[in-house]
Amino acid sequence: MHGYAITTHIQQVSADLLRVEEGSLYPALHRMEQDGWVRAEWGVSEKNREARFYSLTAKGRKQLAQEQETWARLTEGVERVMRYV
Amino acid sequence: MAWYSRIWNVVRGERVHRDIDRELRFHVRERTDEFRAAGMSAEEAGRQARIQLGNPVVQMERTRDMDVAAWLDATFRNVRLALRSLAKTPGFTATVVLTLALGIGANSAVFSAIDAVLLRPLPFPDSDQLMLLEQKRPKVSQTFVAPVRLMDWGRLNSTFQGISGYYTEDASEISGELPEKVKRAFVAPRFLEVLGVPPALGRGFRPEEEHFGGSNAVLISDRFWRRRFQADPGVLEKRLRFGPGSFAITGVMPASFRFPDRDVDLWFTSPMDGPFGQARQLTWFNVIGRLKPGATLAQARENMSAVQTDLGRQFPQTDAELTVDIQPLKEVTVGGVRESLWVVFGSVSLLLLIACTNIAALLLARATQRQQEISVRYSLGASRASVVAQLLTETFVLALSGAVLGLLVAAGTSGVFRTLAKSLPRLEEIGLDWRIVLYTLVSAIAVTLWCGLIPSIQATRRSLTSSLAHGGRALVSSRNPLQWLLVGVQVALAVTLLSGAGLLLRSFRELGRVSPGFEPSHVLTLHISTNWAEAGPEMRPRRDRIIEALSAVPGVESAATSMAPPGVPFGFQAELKVAEGRAETDPKILTDSRFVTSGYFATMQIPLLTGEPCRDAGPPQVLVNRSFANTYFPGAEAVGRHLVPPFPAARPAEIRGIVGDAREQGLNKTPAPMVYFCGADAQPGTFFLIRTQGDPAAMTETVRRKIREIEPSRAVFDIMPLEEHLSDAFAENRMRTVLLSFFAITAVSLACVGLYGTLSYLVNVRRREVGLRLALGALRGQIVRQFLSQGLAVAMLAALAGLGLSLVFTRLLAGMLYGVSPTDPLTLTAVILLTLAVATVASLIPAIRAALVEPMQVLRDE
Repeated sequence: MHGYAITTHIQQVSADLLRVEEGSLYPALHRMEQDGWVRAEWGVSEKNREARFYSLTAKGRKQLAQEQETWARLTEGVERVMRYV
Repeated sequence: MAWYSRIWNVVRGERVHRDIDRELRFHVRERTDEFRAAGMSAEEAGRQARIQLGNPVVQMERTRDMDVAAWLDATFRNVRLALRSLAKTPGFTATVVLTLALGIGANSAVFSAIDAVLLRPLPFPDSDQLMLLEQKRPKVSQTFVAPVRLMDWGRLNSTFQGISGYYTEDASEISGELPEKVKRAFVAPRFLEVLGVPPALGRGFRPEEEHFGGSNAVLISDRFWRRRFQADPGVLEKRLRFGPGSFAITGVMPASFRFPDRDVDLWFTSPMDGPFGQARQLTWFNVIGRLKPGATLAQARENMSAVQTDLGRQFPQTDAELTVDIQPLKEVTVGGVRESLWVVFGSVSLLLLIACTNIAALLLARATQRQQEISVRYSLGASRASVVAQLLTETFVLALSGAVLGLLVAAGTSGVFRTLAKSLPRLEEIGLDWRIVLYTLVSAIAVTLWCGLIPSIQATRRSLTSSLAHGGRALVSSRNPLQWLLVGVQVALAVTLLSGAGLLLRSFRELGRVSPGFEPSHVLTLHISTNWAEAGPEMRPRRDRIIEALSAVPGVESAATSMAPPGVPFGFQAELKVAEGRAETDPKILTDSRFVTSGYFATMQIPLLTGEPCRDAGPPQVLVNRSFANTYFPGAEAVGRHLVPPFPAARPAEIRGIVGDAREQGLNKTPAPMVYFCGADAQPGTFFLIRTQGDPAAMTETVRRKIREIEPSRAVFDIMPLEEHLSDAFAENRMRTVLLSFFAITAVSLACVGLYGTLSYLVNVRRREVGLRLALGALRGQIVRQFLSQGLAVAMLAALAGLGLSLVFTRLLAGMLYGVSPTDPLTLTAVILLTLAVATVASLIPAIRAALVEPMQVLRDE
């Protein structure tokens, strides 16, 4: 997916609850590319424009799983504390 | 490979920029399309889309920051800025780069000498295993070894892989049209094996060639091969002729093989089983050995000592008193010049230090002038570290340029070493290689830190409001302790170098004034090629005939021979006995000896004080000098007594007379007791001494032709006036003195310039104050005095500090001085006075300029 598509995708899938801060989108994508978590290639969009397409690498998938686990633990922890409030 | 691509992206800056631009533009276009679909006009949609993305420049920078290695990017930027900023002040840049080029270049040149001579191992494989073995007899200073003993040592020891030996002589090779003088080395078996260097072409010696009567084989040097055979690869099996024998060339040694010394052209075998090599008391070999891997020097010493003791028991007459001394070969080769080289290195490093301090002061002044620029940078959000980094990068660019130029300087000055120090061991190994380049780079970094750190940190002190408001002038305090400190350091170091140079110069002059006891001018020296085989009684009449013929040549006053030219050290100490007997309490006679012909004293103009001149023929006779007579026969009559040298079967020699004292062992040594043996054998290496009426060099051809008439098959070589020999003996001394004086003068100039520069800058900064004071009625003389005393006060304090440093530094020179002590008050006082005089001149000019300030003009500038 190219960068713009990622923005719209996140917006749509989260039913407008999450909106990507556009100022930090591309720096983040480039950093992930340098870290080896995503791969980027130049391609052509549906409207025949040149765009840069990002895809997950195997290393990225592993990192994603790790982040998911961290997120799950975080939410569980918060939830537990909230039960006592 | 993230880090790799980050670094690569710094270089590909433009490409990265374009890619990110394309990507961001795509994003904006998509967003515009979305807004247009939602109903906005085209330009409104575009504007909103761009606003949503944010500041394009910021976006570009932040994205790019992820893609590039930030530190490298910053460095490139700093370098570009530095180059621009330095280009704006070409005068400053040129001065600094040139100063550094000279300083770093000189430093690298001396270091290359130290590296090649002292630090690098000898050019043989595993050279730390190579040792020199000498035999020592209690009363004799000569240390050659007999061939039989060499073989015994080789057989009986347990710590050496192999022991071999060599000796050299000059000879005349006659297979060409003219006899050519060559230097040849005779080597014991396994010579190449012990050294570990095989021939570059052909082969080494075969075992059958190393026996007496075996076929004659010779190895030639690379130099000889090129000179004589033009590097023809078909040189093997060509033959060379020496006297009646002809020798086949079996191999060519590599160009780097220069053992025993750089002049050796040929290597011959010296068979150990020949009839003349069996006597245990005839010694002529220099012995070298290679230790077994893992054996230590201490083990070898112990073992050889045991071996020699055993030999002493077996052969009590010849071996009982001998001991074996073992030294590492490298130590023997370079030990003598170690001190001199380190002194020169210390001086040139001091000089570099002074130059750097000078530059640091200049950088400090320059940085202070950029206060405004730095304050603006701070206000835009730069961190102190990044500003310091930028200033240091400027310094590094200067240092690197200086270092690169310095390498060129160093390459050029290796020629200087060759002329100044011809006798330096391993001279041919000095050259530039990667180690020197590395050393130069490290020097550049060290220089950067030393010169640049303090000025950078000083200049980036934060006081934003004051500097922005007052336009940069108020930040400069009128006391400037740091700059004065730098000037003071320079003056102190310059004083140190001056003291060293002054002492060496005086020492050199004292040497020149010494009366040698003989007359060195108008004497020509030369060698005639002979060899050891004919060094016996048969040579004498031929030698005498040559002397007679030479004396008869018009323009020649007298001729003689000696084993060593007068004034050049030659070691041959021996204990002599008196045939008539001496009292038990009389001291043993242990003196130097010289082996001369009877014409020596007339040729060298050494006066005969009492007695008669000696004769060459007949029973052995000697002449002794006055010092000998006074030491060993005080009050008694020395003439008429007989001395017995410690050689077996030596005949007593009559003392015929007493001659005046001459400084035979070197002009810097007091004349010691000396015995002159007259009518000596004509051994290879004998010097012919010829006193001429006119310029000795002009007689060269005449003399050569005369000798050719008498001895056509011998080569005449090394023809030079005696004074050249004496001057060569001083070569090391002269190198030190010349170099140190040059450094000292440069140091004083640098300190002078530093003082002048600092004071000028100070005057410039305080122009307003001076103008005000003049307008209020101060006398111009008072202004001059004020600035002058400021400069002189610093110079005086620094000179005293430098004096203290000198007292330490000159102690290191103590062993090299003649006739003057390391703390000689006259020299040190002169140095202080010179420094103060220079400081006065340097301070006077800015001081006078200050006094010439026009108060009205300065006040109007306000």
